[in-house]
Amino acid sequence: MSADRRVRSVIVLGRDVDLWLTAAALARALGGCGVRVEAVELASRLQPGDIAATLPPLEALHAKLGLGEAEVILETAGAFSLGQSFAPGSNRPPPFFHAWGSYGRPIEDIEFFHLWQRARRQGLAVPLQGFCLTAVAAQNGRMLVPDQTTYAFGRTDYGYHLHTAPYAALLKSLARAQGVRVHEAEHVDVERGGAEASIAALMLEGGRRLQADLFVDASGVDALLLGGAMAVPLHSWRRHLAPRSVLFARAPVFTSIPPFAEIRIGPDGWTALHPTRAATGIVHASDVGTSGTADIAATAAAGAELTDITLRRVEPGIRDAAWQGNCVGVGEAAAVFDPIHDVGLHALQLGLVHLLTLFPAGNDFTAERREYNRIMRSRCERIRDFQCALYALAPFAGPFWRRNRELQMPDTLRHKVDTFRARGHIAAMEDETFFADSWQVLFTGLGILPESLPPAVGRIPPRRLREEIDASLGRIHRKVLEQPRHDEYLARFCGGSPV
Amino acid sequence: MSGLSGSGTGSAPLRIVILGGGTAGWMCAAAFRRQLPAPDYDITLVESEEIGTVGVGEATLPSIKVFNDMLGIDEADFMRRTRATFKLGIEFRGWDRDGERYVHPFGAFGEPWGGVEFQHHWLRARLAGRACAPLQEYSLSVAAALSNVFEPPARDPKSIRSTYSYAYHFDAGLYAAYLRSWAVERGVRRVEGLVSEIRRHPERGDVMELTLRSGARVSGDFFVDCSGFRAVLLGRTLGVPWQDWTHWLPCDRALAVACRRADPLVPYTRLTARSAGWVWRIPLQHRTGNGYVFSSRFIDDDQAASSLLGGLEAAPIGEPRLLRFAAGRRERAWSGNCVAVGLASGFLEPLESTSIYLIQAAVTDLIHLMPDRRAGGIDPRLAAEFNRLNDWQYERIRDFLVLHYTANRRFGEPLWDAVRAMALPESLHQKLEMFRSRGALPHYEYGLFSRDSWLAVLAGQGVMPEGYDRSADGLPLDAIEQRLAEFHARIRGAVAGMALHGEYVDRHCAASEAGSLAGAVV
Repeated sequence: MSADRRVRSVIVLGRDVDLWLTAAALARALGGCGVRVEAVELASRLQPGDIAATLPPLEALHAKLGLGEAEVILETAGAFSLGQSFAPGSNRPPPFFHAWGSYGRPIEDIEFFHLWQRARRQGLAVPLQGFCLTAVAAQNGRMLVPDQTTYAFGRTDYGYHLHTAPYAALLKSLARAQGVRVHEAEHVDVERGGAEASIAALMLEGGRRLQADLFVDASGVDALLLGGAMAVPLHSWRRHLAPRSVLFARAPVFTSIPPFAEIRIGPDGWTALHPTRAATGIVHASDVGTSGTADIAATAAAGAELTDITLRRVEPGIRDAAWQGNCVGVGEAAAVFDPIHDVGLHALQLGLVHLLTLFPAGNDFTAERREYNRIMRSRCERIRDFQCALYALAPFAGPFWRRNRELQMPDTLRHKVDTFRARGHIAAMEDETFFADSWQVLFTGLGILPESLPPAVGRIPPRRLREEIDASLGRIHRKVLEQPRHDEYLARFCGGSPV
Repeated sequence: MSGLSGSGTGSAPLRIVILGGGTAGWMCAAAFRRQLPAPDYDITLVESEEIGTVGVGEATLPSIKVFNDMLGIDEADFMRRTRATFKLGIEFRGWDRDGERYVHPFGAFGEPWGGVEFQHHWLRARLAGRACAPLQEYSLSVAAALSNVFEPPARDPKSIRSTYSYAYHFDAGLYAAYLRSWAVERGVRRVEGLVSEIRRHPERGDVMELTLRSGARVSGDFFVDCSGFRAVLLGRTLGVPWQDWTHWLPCDRALAVACRRADPLVPYTRLTARSAGWVWRIPLQHRTGNGYVFSSRFIDDDQAASSLLGGLEAAPIGEPRLLRFAAGRRERAWSGNCVAVGLASGFLEPLESTSIYLIQAAVTDLIHLMPDRRAGGIDPRLAAEFNRLNDWQYERIRDFLVLHYTANRRFGEPLWDAVRAMALPESLHQKLEMFRSRGALPHYEYGLFSRDSWLAVLAGQGVMPEGYDRSADGLPLDAIEQRLAEFHARIRGAVAGMALHGEYVDRHCAASEAGSLAGAVV
């Protein structure tokens, strides 16, 4: 293999977080490996009220980028998030907490979830989340950082709530520091050419012509390169996930900042609250065509005055191929998700992780492209299934939820629901984003309970089960009291004064 | 329902009837008894001394230890009673072409550096013409195997001695007997006899009752078909169709013969390619199991027998036994109230010692998905899940086995020419492409095999990548060359401190004379 045949240059076209996270990650991983990364920056679409909620794996990507957690939290007025609390109006069904942690520990290799089911049948009233250290800490306003002493409680993790504009700026300076050359552009034309009608160059205003071996489309839903120039169609998921009218806004900061997101379930949609140290991000989703009074509904749900209101239509779907010719789409250029689980940034991260793993080794990247498309489709469909489950099975009151219950579940999801209903068993699939705990919390939160238990549960005598349950609740209670309050932790962590 | 036994508490136990007492049957019986509460499940196993089991010398995978631990079995005791030896991997001789060999170890190759998998650094150094040893030499378990040494792995993850695991070679007949006494002592009912008649439900077609030649009747709610190739319940009775895989795995016969033990006692299985198939060699404490797996399209039984006997290193014990089979599996392993486990559910040649693994995986899944009398008995949703998981296991192992055949340079031998040219399953084709183009290895969260296994066999079969992960270029080549040399030296140092396998077995678990007499029952 001669080195000159390999991909030596990449242009990332896009804007905001998608652009800068992509450019920074590619430059960091490949800059020292003879690959030149350039960024074509389109006009920002960020609004002052934009606040992003992130999933736990982002921390690992930041670490790879050399981005310190304190810096991120400080620069973005960020806060920690231990999970999402789903709160139906009038508490029916009861609220449930989807935490980034394990729900109970196994006894004699029997998964705790099944033991909880058994105990519940014997009269236990404590909900599943009562056995999740992460969830209990969150609901008590405590921060929880995994360490040696939390190991016995299983996995515990966290995401962030970040102001998007400073976060994008932080990533941009990081990309620049990695040697990414930046070209600002208002308008971009694409020059096609080469094998498979690939992209030969981008033409920017002022006669600038930029050539590269590989083009990454980080232009968001517009998908200027993948959808535009390469004409890869968007396959709508509307049978499984309805298009939404989504309102974004900001509300005043909480006096004491909750370490979690709250999703308030209303009859005509839902409203998410994402607390940061400077504000509270509000996302309100309703059905397309019913959004005339979205701001009123969102204001009512948030219980506060909203500012910086913007509206966006979100239609979940996936491009038929995320990588076509020499063009790779990442983030919303490749797939669009429903906003309820805050998976947008995570999907971008998945695209980058797999692109780096499969970054062309030679000049013919047919095999890599096929593999990338296979794995990204599978990854995205597993997230889609998780989202579809929430809507298609939602027991919540109101016309919005009634319409959602008519959504069709994909076969993979239907099978998962079947095995859960039958036995509380989560059918394992490859390429999942959400752990089995997440699925169990989701299903039980939606009021679905298994019709039977794995028989091995019967090996644990009822009395022993009661004792173990009591002991477990006691351990969690004591551990939570040892944790710092979220506000204190933020103050200490960022070296500033409490908000 | 009429029952053989009733608890009198209002909910009679679910009656599980296992047909067949080989490795599959007794693994099911023992695991079910350990995991399923006795008041809820009644377990009966029907077997006949008149039906031999296929079990010859059997090689296993490391997961068998999880199974034994689950039953609380003491390793040394189990090894004494099954004449077991340790297994660090499989040596493949002549699979790429004559004169070449490689070991597929139960262990890692090298270690990742800078977040990049080892093989990429090795490939880069090799492509750059830097000093590096063959890939095989960067695995401690390969080095230990070929030096005939064995020690249990270390627990400290920082130790190089933590980079491998091990399995066993044992006498499968003795293992089944071992599990039988374990299970019977704990309440599994064993019924001796041949099945003469099978009664089915007139409408649903479910299996209801087995009638034995003695006239005794065994009725049940849930039947586990462990009757081997004959698949008496799932195949012959319920007629679940067979899915044929012989176009990918053409071997259809095996001749098996034991011979006297030859020293040294090696800690690995040896599989040697022959013109019409391959020969196994499995070292046990008291003898060595041998066999020739071949395709009857390319050699007849007599020629195969003389080829097998001609290659033995010591005098044979008895005449070679002929086994006939076909690669493939039942379209559904679980149908109605009957599930097949082991050879009754499918057959994949013992090229990677997966037979017992497949039994274990099925048993593990069944324990979770077992019908529950209180929830109305058989639940088709749980059967569908069992079948999905079972298919997954079979297909993934199949791809890995096919790789051993298709990637070969044994030009001019009709069997090997044919498998080199065959159309591959798409799932395997893509894996080969990914390795060829960039040294990338498949990653499964579920089922077999691991990345290191794929690496061992891909590289061993002579598939050489043209490129490697570009992130590997981030480290200076000089540093890589030095790390390769250091790692190589660490392996040699670790091997030097390990005991000879034969001596370790003698010290740890040597079969006693009394043990050999007890074993003669089977």
